[in-house]
Amino acid sequence: MSGAPALEVDLEVTVGRGAAAFSVASRFSLPSGVLVLFGSSGAGKTVTLRAIAGLLRPTRGSVRLAGEALFDWMRGVDVPAERRRIGYVPQDQALFPHLDVLGNVVFGLPRAERKKPGAATLALLDELGLTALRDARVGSLSGGERQRVALARALAAEPRLLLLDEPLSALDRPSRLAIGRSLREALARRSLPAVLVTHDAEEAAAFGDVFVRFERGKPARELPREVVLGEKGPCPHCGKP
Amino acid sequence: MSFPILLSLRVASLALLFVGPIGLAVALLQARCRYRLRGLVDALVLLPLVLPPSVVGYCLVVVFGRRGLVGRMLEEGLGLRLVFSPAGAALASAVVALPILVKTAQPSIEAVPAALEDVARTLGLRPWEVVFRVTLPLAWRGVLAALVLGFARAIGEFGATLMLAGNIPGRTNTMPVEIFSAFQEGDDARAGLYVVVLSVISIVVVLVAGLLGPREGRSAA
Repeated sequence: MSGAPALEVDLEVTVGRGAAAFSVASRFSLPSGVLVLFGSSGAGKTVTLRAIAGLLRPTRGSVRLAGEALFDWMRGVDVPAERRRIGYVPQDQALFPHLDVLGNVVFGLPRAERKKPGAATLALLDELGLTALRDARVGSLSGGERQRVALARALAAEPRLLLLDEPLSALDRPSRLAIGRSLREALARRSLPAVLVTHDAEEAAAFGDVFVRFERGKPARELPREVVLGEKGPCPHCGKP
Repeated sequence: MSFPILLSLRVASLALLFVGPIGLAVALLQARCRYRLRGLVDALVLLPLVLPPSVVGYCLVVVFGRRGLVGRMLEEGLGLRLVFSPAGAALASAVVALPILVKTAQPSIEAVPAALEDVARTLGLRPWEVVFRVTLPLAWRGVLAALVLGFARAIGEFGATLMLAGNIPGRTNTMPVEIFSAFQEGDDARAGLYVVVLSVISIVVVLVAGLLGPREGRSAA
């Protein structure tokens, strides 16, 4: 892709109405790898993520994926969410409760592939350790398993970018480590760029290549890695400095 | 003897066929979209519930009657005359069924977490595909309850039907209308028959709607 950054974002998003309304301004770019949006809750991280996905309409600005404009306020470009090919794993995973694990994973695939899962789907289930669970009801899954299903569902649709909202925060420590490893491997294997939202500096440092800090009432800004690390020591359990 | 029963079933089914999709579309719109005229649409939908049936009937005659704007268009364009016809009875039933249909379906659609619909969009589904593959499969209890209650309301419609479709024996004498004329003629046995039939339908409907109701629902957990 002729050297265009994986993702370029320059957005102002307004949510709510009247007195409850607030605006989030952010400007950042990701050459490749994982971009971490971090900061306290209520600072607009999730809102920014949803704007990148095309799920809410920014007040102005632009979003470019590998050089292609997905949103450009000046030129009137607004590609609908279903044509952006951006995978989204929301905070509570939002698994479809009326479908089993396999039904969730193949949800975004063409009808023929949904009826009879092909080799790629089976390989994906295997990669994320879901083969034994493929017929399980999603209501019976543990937090870590839910996260794997949500990840598999997003990856199955072959996205060009993956958005992850607090993917590890609801998990206990052993699953955090395991899911974190699966996630990093899955991204690396596909050279898939990702945007990860977290309020945890440790998690930010473990995943990120580029860091953007959100604070309520201020424009989001990029931070050098050392500053993020300085807020807390290197991740003691997942090995990454 | 059985003509009014079959006619009522036909009229109510036709009414539901017509107003069902419209009511569900309005319920989806009201549950999911925040737009400027939302409050006005809400009020309009409720209107047939609040207006006296004879007023609804009068308005329908003004609009759909032989000299009404829409009525003339339908008659000249499609050869469809609504006044004094079973189709007119179906239209009157459809209008009065709309409020209960929308108001029953809407909360069950609102109860489907919007995050599920969002994820479906990012997986490549167009908005109408999201409705059929996420929203309706998760809201089916409420939607079915809405259709059942709408059917009951449609089959029991009297006032507006009488105004628009009249009371023509062998043509537009639905059960509620027939009860009234039999009663006036002093034929209590005939009136009683239709009273029993309509009561049984209503009781079944209430039981079914209760089974589908939110108390039992563990649907969108």
